[in-house]
Amino acid sequence: MRLLLVEDEADIQSFLQRSLEEAGYEVEVAPDARTAERLAADKQFDILIVDLGLPDRDGISLILRLRELGMRAPVLILSARRSVDDRVRGLEQGGDDYLTKPFALAELLARLRNLLKRNSPVQGEATRLHVQDLELDLLRREASRGGQVLQLTQQEFVLLEYLCRNAGRVVTRSMILDKVWGMRIVPDTNVVDVHIYRLRGKVDGAGQHPLIKTMRGVGYVLKDR
Amino acid sequence: MSSKIDKKPPIRSAAWRISFLATIAFACGTLVIFVFLHELVSNDIQRRTDTWLSGEVEVLGDVAARTPRNALYGRVVREIAELATREVPNKSTSTGNANDSVFFLQTSAQQQSQLWVGAGNGEADFEAIKATKFRPDTPTDVRVSGFPVPFRVACLQLGDGSHIYLGLSERDELRVLRKLRLRFFLLWLLVVFLGFGIVFLVTRRMLSHVRRITEAASRIGHSDLTERVPATQRNDEVSQLAHTLNTMLDRIESSMRQLHTITDALAHDLRSPLTAIRGKLEMSLSTTDNDEQTEPIVSAIEELDQLTDFLNKSLDVAEARADALRLTRTEINLSRLVETMVDLYEPSMAERGIRIRVSRENGVMVNGDEGLIHRMIANLLDNELKHLAPGSNVGVSLKCSGDIVSLTFEDNGKGFDPEVLEHIFVRRVKGKTSTGHGLGLAFVDAVVRAHGGTVEAINPEPGGARITISLPLTPEEARHQVTTAVRAA
Repeated sequence: MRLLLVEDEADIQSFLQRSLEEAGYEVEVAPDARTAERLAADKQFDILIVDLGLPDRDGISLILRLRELGMRAPVLILSARRSVDDRVRGLEQGGDDYLTKPFALAELLARLRNLLKRNSPVQGEATRLHVQDLELDLLRREASRGGQVLQLTQQEFVLLEYLCRNAGRVVTRSMILDKVWGMRIVPDTNVVDVHIYRLRGKVDGAGQHPLIKTMRGVGYVLKDR
Repeated sequence: MSSKIDKKPPIRSAAWRISFLATIAFACGTLVIFVFLHELVSNDIQRRTDTWLSGEVEVLGDVAARTPRNALYGRVVREIAELATREVPNKSTSTGNANDSVFFLQTSAQQQSQLWVGAGNGEADFEAIKATKFRPDTPTDVRVSGFPVPFRVACLQLGDGSHIYLGLSERDELRVLRKLRLRFFLLWLLVVFLGFGIVFLVTRRMLSHVRRITEAASRIGHSDLTERVPATQRNDEVSQLAHTLNTMLDRIESSMRQLHTITDALAHDLRSPLTAIRGKLEMSLSTTDNDEQTEPIVSAIEELDQLTDFLNKSLDVAEARADALRLTRTEINLSRLVETMVDLYEPSMAERGIRIRVSRENGVMVNGDEGLIHRMIANLLDNELKHLAPGSNVGVSLKCSGDIVSLTFEDNGKGFDPEVLEHIFVRRVKGKTSTGHGLGLAFVDAVVRAHGGTVEAINPEPGGARITISLPLTPEEARHQVTTAVRAA
């Protein structure tokens, strides 16, 4: 996957480049809009990360310019601004995504994956999810582990489904709050942890190999191997 | 919204009132002027009649005096009198018999009727004249039985002591005046109605400008500052009002934009380094597996996230204090939101031994900024979670009464610190035992205010704490209230 990172702050640039490369992306970096335009004209990219506050031009006008030039790759917009600009909203509707600084790396990666998935041809929606010996029947809203049916509440099932869909990848608390509860909040209490704790009590029974792992300071991961 | 105002019957509108009063004043004024003119005209007609009568009676007297008293005397005087009666001024032709409007009478010194020229035998006229006292040179009104209109009679005493009387019916004079009155009345009615119509339409048009300005102004109060009140091309008071309002809005908008620029710049300048720090911390976390080394990194990340949240809240509170919080409004099902929030917090509360129960009405919709409302409710529940002792109860209730939605958070804990209760919604105020940054309730207050609502915190009897948030059901309602307030003022 070829990725163009348009970001002027050297600090952010370097850690993003490293993490993205670790995640398997082939990263090119542009510190300003002019360079970005030149790079985009030379090469094909699968996805772009564009910071809104560029030194020479506004990030949105860069995106619009690239679209004019025929670029069709999805864009993840980074912004340190407080309010979501209406023009960003417009781009969001056009299929691009938006992330506010500061962000968790896991969230950035998740959003990139979503954008790429959205852009690739749609596959038939699975009705069953399998992660190791865990099985989710999405139609009957039923989960079982090793053939044993788990007694989950609706909310717990949705949470487990979200973890399964991202099996092997870290999901942050704010991602869970957003996707499972539909809320973009930062609680200063451990509300998500308690839900995970309860779910873990049901999924990882005594003597079983634990599936849900806590990544301290980052979030959770459902181990797929 | 305009339909709401239009529903008012026109009879109660200001335009109606103004045009009604203006019309009354106009009608009274024109009536007074007419009465004055009528008096003038009727006096003038009377004067003309009197002049004619005096002149004629003098001519007749002259003729009577000079004519020898022979057998022809009667005929000569009668002919002269008849000639005179034909020259009656203002004479209408409709009477048929010319003589019934004029009469001539000569009486002897012994008050005997000597000569009569006129309609009928003159008996009644003679009787009436006898009963009337005449002043020389001035014609007098005489009412004659059998005639509905009085006669104007001039009298002249001849040298031999006989009198001659010349009478002219006032019928024609009165007819002229009656016609004048009738025409005036018809024209007056027409002008009054036309005037009322014109004044009503003009005032209504003008007031509709004012109403549009009011509507626009109240809309601006609740949504965006980019809107302007409608201004007309004309340079009248109303358009001056609109221009003044717009200039004021320009200034407010520019200072608002300045505030946004400052808060945005501040946010940007702080967030970029925060992003870099967070990223680096996460990087180092992924390269370390040693628990002892990860622990400080993890807590640094957590504190960084709280710092970010604090930064966001501070800026929100700062903007809300200046009534400059930017809202992205959508319809929010508050009932479902409260339910979901409580579901989210319930396990954490249960873990701490706190029971939470909800009582809510279904389908309560509020038009507001989803993100802010979510954060506001999360804030309040976080507060309960942090400050309540195990074994406490929390009650959340959502009620809808009239145009107001009230959301209440109540607990049976220690209650608010009485020292800070008064200023509890002020930024950075917190109880001695509080561990937060003292921004939570200020943020709640900011969000509620930005949505046009109110928030109240009390320590109810017999104990505990209660926070009640009142929000307008929809912004339309709030706008309507503003419009009404403006109208009432």
